[in-house]
Amino acid sequence: MNMPAAATAPPARRLHGAIAAEVPVSSSMRRLELELEEAVPFQPGQFCMLNLAGEPALVFGRPFSLLAAEGRRLSLLYKVVGRGTARLRDAGVGAPVTCLAPLGRPFPAPDPRPHLLLAGGVGLPPLLAWAERWGRPSDLCCAGGRDGDDLPWGLLGSSWRVSVDRPGALPAGRQAFDGNVVELARSLLPASAPERVVLACGPLPLLRAAATLAAERGWDCLVSVEERMGCGYGVCRGCVVPRASDGGYATACKDGPVFEARGLDWTRFGGGGGT
Amino acid sequence: MTALPGWLAFDPRGPLRLGSRDFPGRIWTASGCFGYGLDGADLGAPGRGSPFDGLGAVVTKTVTPQARCGNPPPRLWETAHGALNSIGLENVGLARFADEVMPALEASGVPYVASLAATRPAEFGDMARRLAAAAGGAAHWHGVELNLSCPNVAEGGVDFGRDPAMVERCVAAAREHLPARALLAKLTPNVGSIAKLAAAAASGGADGVTAINTLIGMDVDLRTGAPVLPRRRGGYSGPALLPVALARVDEIVQETGLPVVGVGGIATIEDALKFFAVGAVAVQIGTAQMSDPFAAADVAAALAALR
Repeated sequence: MNMPAAATAPPARRLHGAIAAEVPVSSSMRRLELELEEAVPFQPGQFCMLNLAGEPALVFGRPFSLLAAEGRRLSLLYKVVGRGTARLRDAGVGAPVTCLAPLGRPFPAPDPRPHLLLAGGVGLPPLLAWAERWGRPSDLCCAGGRDGDDLPWGLLGSSWRVSVDRPGALPAGRQAFDGNVVELARSLLPASAPERVVLACGPLPLLRAAATLAAERGWDCLVSVEERMGCGYGVCRGCVVPRASDGGYATACKDGPVFEARGLDWTRFGGGGGT
Repeated sequence: MTALPGWLAFDPRGPLRLGSRDFPGRIWTASGCFGYGLDGADLGAPGRGSPFDGLGAVVTKTVTPQARCGNPPPRLWETAHGALNSIGLENVGLARFADEVMPALEASGVPYVASLAATRPAEFGDMARRLAAAAGGAAHWHGVELNLSCPNVAEGGVDFGRDPAMVERCVAAAREHLPARALLAKLTPNVGSIAKLAAAAASGGADGVTAINTLIGMDVDLRTGAPVLPRRRGGYSGPALLPVALARVDEIVQETGLPVVGVGGIATIEDALKFFAVGAVAVQIGTAQMSDPFAAADVAAALAALR
């Protein structure tokens, strides 16, 4: 079985710019818009390394998946999970930034097989971007959140199926599966369901469950990993994930962040959070 | 800063002679912070050329006799003013470095210094001999920097780099096979007198020293009470190191007069000028190069623009 070729994107450029907008889109998720020197043509699944340009900058930029680009405006979603993301939230509109983008190996463009998109939490942006660019009615798009408030409903079109870990209030007219996003997919796709290509992005337990589902069904599966990064462009070897082929490591930033699930050694995979 | 300070004892915009080699510039990148000098050539920035423009040398990722897959993650941890790392000397090994990396560097034209680490003094000599044999006529290979921060497996596990006699032996072993390349010993700051280490390196035949390697550091995750790095302690680098590095470079210059390549927390032309002020002959950009591939090229461009 041949995996689809990764879409190509131009090399990354270091761009200066400023925060143009910063708004909450759910109880935990925020949308950040940057106005940069140049447009950033990107492929879904690629990311940027973003740092504040004012003194004192963070020692390292922070990696963020890219959501959308329009002209010189670049959008991403993020959660405040540590010191760096808190600094970004508090920097305010107009704060100068430095952005290296687009980086990393993207999700592939679709082949004729229907796809299954599994997004958890802040793993949404690359799959929202993929569905926006390439989604077809035959693709099944699933997004999971902790509860109804955790999900950015304004970004999730009606074609997205939704799961929540904790039942509770939902927007009028919307429904949610009670469980995690992979359980949602299992409930919709019986064992006899036709072959799909799985694209997954989210926390490590989601990626692990997605890889397990795909392995059980004999489907291809691509996962986008989230790791603590230093450089974002392949030189520091800080953001490694265990490779299945030789017991060694691949870099999340340059060899990934999108990997074939069967190319990773899940028994050695501990994952790393963001800051 | 736009004017060359009048107090400089030399013009840092000019080329640098170290041993028998002429380096094209005095702004280098530090080992481990810009890969092997092969990544990043395709990166761009408005109004700028390549990340390699104006660099005096790229000091490669440290190479060991055999390939190493490095430490398990997490390998990096940012603190308020610096970064802890525990990469574990992941590298392709000397054979692939000589057969694949050096020819690619020669083809690219990037000036480079090979960083070497070993676990026995004689291995430094053996690595130097193999590199010299494999790439004797390499035009862009300017020198070797010995990374002496590894435990000495054969002789008690103490870092080579903390024992002046061992520093001298390692340097002498490499010097024998490298008559036509600059030879630098990268010194650890985790000692009482760094000047004694520098003097020992000179006795072994080094053309100069690089100062400083990382401090030993650690951090604790308060959610678990456990160290953030699996191996507990790691190398501490970044902006917090600048005053420490500056003091150590000053100590070496004042006490030995040896050529020193300064490294530690340098990110801007102002930072670099402080090292030139205390007598460093060149500087390396380390952690800043990781966060911005154009960091060293920016400093080199700013230096060239001083009038």
